[in-house]
Amino acid sequence: MPRDASRSLRLDDFDLDGALRETHERQCRETRSGFLRRAAGAGVGVVGVLAVRPASAVAQASSGDVAILNFALALEYLQASFYTQAERIGALHGALAEQAHVVGAHERAHVRAFKAVLGSAAIKEPKFDFRGVTDNPNAFRSTAVAFEDLATAAYKEQAPRIQSRSYLAAALAIHSVEARHAAWIRRLAGFLPAAHAFDDPLSDSKVVEIVNSTHFVTLKTPDTSATSSPRFTG
Amino acid sequence: MTIRVGRNGTNPEGASQRGEVRWGTVRMSRAGLFARSAAVLGALGGSAVGAAEFAAAAGSQRTPARDREIFGLALLIARLEAAFYAHALAGGRLTGETHQFASVVGAQEKAHVKYLTTALGSAAGKSPGFRFGDAATDPTKFLATAVSLESTALAVYNGQAVNLTPQALAAAARVVSVEARHAAWARALAGQVPAPVAVDVPITVSQAESVFRPFLA
Repeated sequence: MPRDASRSLRLDDFDLDGALRETHERQCRETRSGFLRRAAGAGVGVVGVLAVRPASAVAQASSGDVAILNFALALEYLQASFYTQAERIGALHGALAEQAHVVGAHERAHVRAFKAVLGSAAIKEPKFDFRGVTDNPNAFRSTAVAFEDLATAAYKEQAPRIQSRSYLAAALAIHSVEARHAAWIRRLAGFLPAAHAFDDPLSDSKVVEIVNSTHFVTLKTPDTSATSSPRFTG
Repeated sequence: MTIRVGRNGTNPEGASQRGEVRWGTVRMSRAGLFARSAAVLGALGGSAVGAAEFAAAAGSQRTPARDREIFGLALLIARLEAAFYAHALAGGRLTGETHQFASVVGAQEKAHVKYLTTALGSAAGKSPGFRFGDAATDPTKFLATAVSLESTALAVYNGQAVNLTPQALAAAARVVSVEARHAAWARALAGQVPAPVAVDVPITVSQAESVFRPFLA
């Protein structure tokens, strides 16, 4: 039975979680910080790509929507890769293995959907290093709780900013699935599936900060901006 | 399961691009009839809530008035759910995690009622009466009903949320994901996969009404 709400893991606990803590002090922040930041639209990356190479799929979407969709895609890449790797390693059993199997398929479907909508404006998938949490059931469980609560909060923050109703409908339909995922894994981890009457949103900058603190992203997305022309020497 | 969002933001079922938004079963509700009150509901025959009320509203506006209609619907649903869990707990036959579920979720539904009542002010109106019978008190039927109520609430919220102003959506979304957690928890307790599909397909108000109406006294 899930424990009391006061014991529940909240978003703020994410970077304190034991499974992640040991990776927290690692260096190399600079090499990976670009991935989600660019996706969040804080930099010029996504917007720049769109401006130089207007994607047919999203030619009529606002630049804000494209940035949000790419931000969502970045989170889906992270989650899909996490579950896919956990399943491939095969250290999970029983209910946890079932969760990883089902949820992994969902996250991969989300990735495909966002890539299809974004077309050539879609950010590339970065490289991930999950630092052992995908081959340890306890670490997997803690990380999955954090990821799913994080994704739910991230979608919640972004949804009201989406201009297109079609994209908004899609984002909302995914937002609630992420919340289901969160409830599912929280229960398996012994936490209350629904610990609070209201779920709080989380800003993109805070989401980026949290994801970067895990150092799971090891290689930032290649710079596809056409403004960075090839350099010729000699 | 693939996400049914087509390129250019249209849905793959061929909805027009002239401002009409359809996604899955979503249509813009012009009137939000179910939201007004149970009294209005009672005056409507089931079949009367149909094409006229749910005609696609090309160019429909997101307005504070519409926000109130949708919040009114949310309040009616939250009141129904809160009453359902209170009735279930009063029945005294729930045990273990099922009892915990009813207790935790019931308290959260009460919090939703309080929040929405405050948000709506004088427009909140009085709560209608509800009747659940053994759908709430029989442990097996309780879980099946909880799955149905929570899943339906979530699906209609997802359908209506696109009609909210951004500010109202930000507020509503804090409730929507909690309903999703309730639905997942109820499904787990009922022995079902908590998240059965990759996207939660929204439903229309009339579809939701068919689920909720039998519980209106």
